[in-house]
Amino acid sequence: MMESQSTPQQAPTWKLWANPIVRRYAQSRLRPQGLGLWLLVVLLTAGFIFFLARSLVYQRSGLAMMDAVRTPLIPLFILQGVILFLLGTGQVAGAMTAEGDEGVLDYQRLAPMTPMAKVLGYLFGLPIREYVLCFATFPFTLWCLWKGGVPFHVAAELYATFFCSAILYHLTGLIAGTVLRNRRWAFLLSMGIVFLLYTIIPQLAKFGLVYFQYLTVRPVFEEHLGALLPQTAGAVVDTFNRLVPPERFFNLNLPETVFTLFSQLMLILTGVVMCWRRWRRDEAHLLGKAWALGLYAWTQVMLLGSALPLIETGRVFPSREMNRRFRRFLVEDWQPEGMEAVVMSGAYGLVSLVLLWVMTLMITPSKDTQIRGWRRTRKLERRRIPLTSDPATGFWTVSLMAVIGATGWFVFTRAVVESHWFGQIMPGTAVFAFGLTLVTCGLGFHALLEGRGGKVAGIAALLIGVVPIMMGTVLGAANDRFIATAAWLFAMSPVSSPFFAPGAILPMADLPEEVFKAVPRTFWFFQFVMLLATLWLVIDLWKRRRGIAKSTE
Amino acid sequence: MSATSAIEIKDLRVDYGHFVAVEDINLTIPFGEVYGLVGPNGAGKTSTFKVLATLMEQTYGEVRIAGHDVLEETEAARRVLGYMPDLAPVPSDLRVWEFLNFHADTHALGSRKARLERVEECLARVNLTDKRNAWCKKLSRGQTQRVVLAKTLLHRPQVLILDEPASGLDPLSRRELRHALQDLAKEGATVIVSSHILGELAEMCSSLCVMNQGELLASGASDDVLQELGNAERRITAVLASDQANDVSEWLETREGVEAIKPSSKSEVVFTFTGDEAAKANLLASCIQRGFLVADFHEKGSSFEEILVEVAEGNRVS
Repeated sequence: MMESQSTPQQAPTWKLWANPIVRRYAQSRLRPQGLGLWLLVVLLTAGFIFFLARSLVYQRSGLAMMDAVRTPLIPLFILQGVILFLLGTGQVAGAMTAEGDEGVLDYQRLAPMTPMAKVLGYLFGLPIREYVLCFATFPFTLWCLWKGGVPFHVAAELYATFFCSAILYHLTGLIAGTVLRNRRWAFLLSMGIVFLLYTIIPQLAKFGLVYFQYLTVRPVFEEHLGALLPQTAGAVVDTFNRLVPPERFFNLNLPETVFTLFSQLMLILTGVVMCWRRWRRDEAHLLGKAWALGLYAWTQVMLLGSALPLIETGRVFPSREMNRRFRRFLVEDWQPEGMEAVVMSGAYGLVSLVLLWVMTLMITPSKDTQIRGWRRTRKLERRRIPLTSDPATGFWTVSLMAVIGATGWFVFTRAVVESHWFGQIMPGTAVFAFGLTLVTCGLGFHALLEGRGGKVAGIAALLIGVVPIMMGTVLGAANDRFIATAAWLFAMSPVSSPFFAPGAILPMADLPEEVFKAVPRTFWFFQFVMLLATLWLVIDLWKRRRGIAKSTE
Repeated sequence: MSATSAIEIKDLRVDYGHFVAVEDINLTIPFGEVYGLVGPNGAGKTSTFKVLATLMEQTYGEVRIAGHDVLEETEAARRVLGYMPDLAPVPSDLRVWEFLNFHADTHALGSRKARLERVEECLARVNLTDKRNAWCKKLSRGQTQRVVLAKTLLHRPQVLILDEPASGLDPLSRRELRHALQDLAKEGATVIVSSHILGELAEMCSSLCVMNQGELLASGASDDVLQELGNAERRITAVLASDQANDVSEWLETREGVEAIKPSSKSEVVFTFTGDEAAKANLLASCIQRGFLVADFHEKGSSFEEILVEVAEGNRVS
């Protein structure tokens, strides 16, 4: 009989240079023909930036050499970001989908390497050319750092965050490439995420959701900006930073670098777990129920921890930033408006709800998965499917997440309402309103998805979630007389519920009279309707699950 | 692990939503066999192979590869199997030797020197030594199939699962493949190979099974399968000494077990008959007693291809 020689004598997982997948991509992506041209382009660009900035500033502005050599630092940093963040992420997502598309991914699935070795192999192997190109620009950067007298810890912190972010984005690309079957979509999605992180996500920070900024290099970059600029300009930045120091996570005085790395490493770990699960079994959910629950709770803590310290100083309010930017540098007479608190609370609720939906999509078993789970349970002579396994119902996990989300939402809103800016008492009904909103919108969606399948849930999401908002917008824009009717239409959609809940409850909601009257009525009416619908869907789900269980006996 | 069979399939079922791709298949394949799985497109061959190769989770049933349950002991099963998928994909950015060396590396086949030696051995086995430096994507379809076969052989698997390995191969390559598979079987490996060309499998396999619409229609030695599927309905040609084809056709319509009567000329009738040998002899005797001048009365044996066409047509009708 033929003897299989593949008894695992693989190199340890941490030895990346011995990882066959890394070596495979080093071979194919670092061929002189392919690499040479790219290297030439990158070195020419980096050299151009370096010499232009240096000589322009030194020769023309009369700055000292030490200041002049600092000027290419930021353009070089941007170039490195483009190479590693954009090109690298796109490459990972596109190549991963291509491997699946061509069918060669199945070969690796069958290879007797550990799932972790496969994840790390792809994570560092696929963008290997981009790493080489990025490192090729480093002599310029190192020279600037050395001659510019930039403190070592500044460079170390900045580049630690830079590479941590790169790994996070590459992992996003890897997940997109694993999940999506279309190469173009995977490429666009992963690039889109990086683009969003640096353009749209910072806008959310203006509404109190500061945490998302820590998924970028921005906070660390801004903290160390003074040391990267010529000394005179850097001094101005440093003075400003000292005058308006950044608030820390739960006032714990954690440095920005530590908090950024901490935030990103948790997401990197989650991404690795996602890929690991998919490598272990192709049909597996991206996240297990326990991990999804933990991640949701962790995100709530992060959101609260980074937003709450900003409330007392007022920096959490978007109007303060606008005021500062457009009117005065330092503001003394500024006061947040009541509606701002309502909108911020709504934004927090919406983010919590959207995250709840995303988690629900990840952990809800399809009918096929449920059938397989029951068959396996019967085979192993068990009575029940283990609660945290993929085929188990997501009901309990989604319920717990809804409660956690509602708690986080309540804590944030109460901190805003009871801050010295408003000095109000948070109404007790808010607990009920927030809880009801997340439970009905979250559980209703889950019961529909698990009981009726993705297509029905998708159509329902479109018809109940999007269409009423579109109709309300058209009606409201047509004539002021229809504002109340538009409010009723808006309230019908679960997407707008997080805004209607604080609008109906908070004392400072400063709405036009018609809307002021309509909002509480519409909110409670539709919450009642959604509660009934959710109850019905949950009962229907239990009947269906029982039917599946019986059919497999 | 002292497994008694190379492959054991018990009550295998694979569903895609409401579509049943494979339905309650039971099969046991001993070590050292070259086993063929044949059926028209959509018969469920690839789904069965994906389950065997641990690439897909079955809806129901138990599958063991060399004694390892593919669901419970996936990693152990993967170590002893080699899988060659349909259309045999190859990466576009690697040369032949690099592709093979990479897979030898993933299977931890020793030092670089040892790996390269094994690569050369496998290339020689599939007669592609001269193509070692060629780009994988520049190879012809047949050469690509052979490269992937070489990759599948690298780690000396006990069970080889080959999905349509002969498609795209010229007759010479097919013969080489047949010899290679038979050599592997002699060395103790079990080879399970699929095709929609029954004749192709009959040449290279010691046993066969025929699938259609997810069901197993027949299995066993090639001759037994041919008899089981081919003899259910005999195709008989009666050649007459005079222009009596229409009269004979009318008479045959009254006989039991006779169907699809078709005069092919004025003196020749072709029909199908479902009776056994004795019934066939009685039919001939009655025909002569009736006064028809029968010059020849012969049964045309169904070829593998015809059987499969009939199976596939049945597929379409249903």
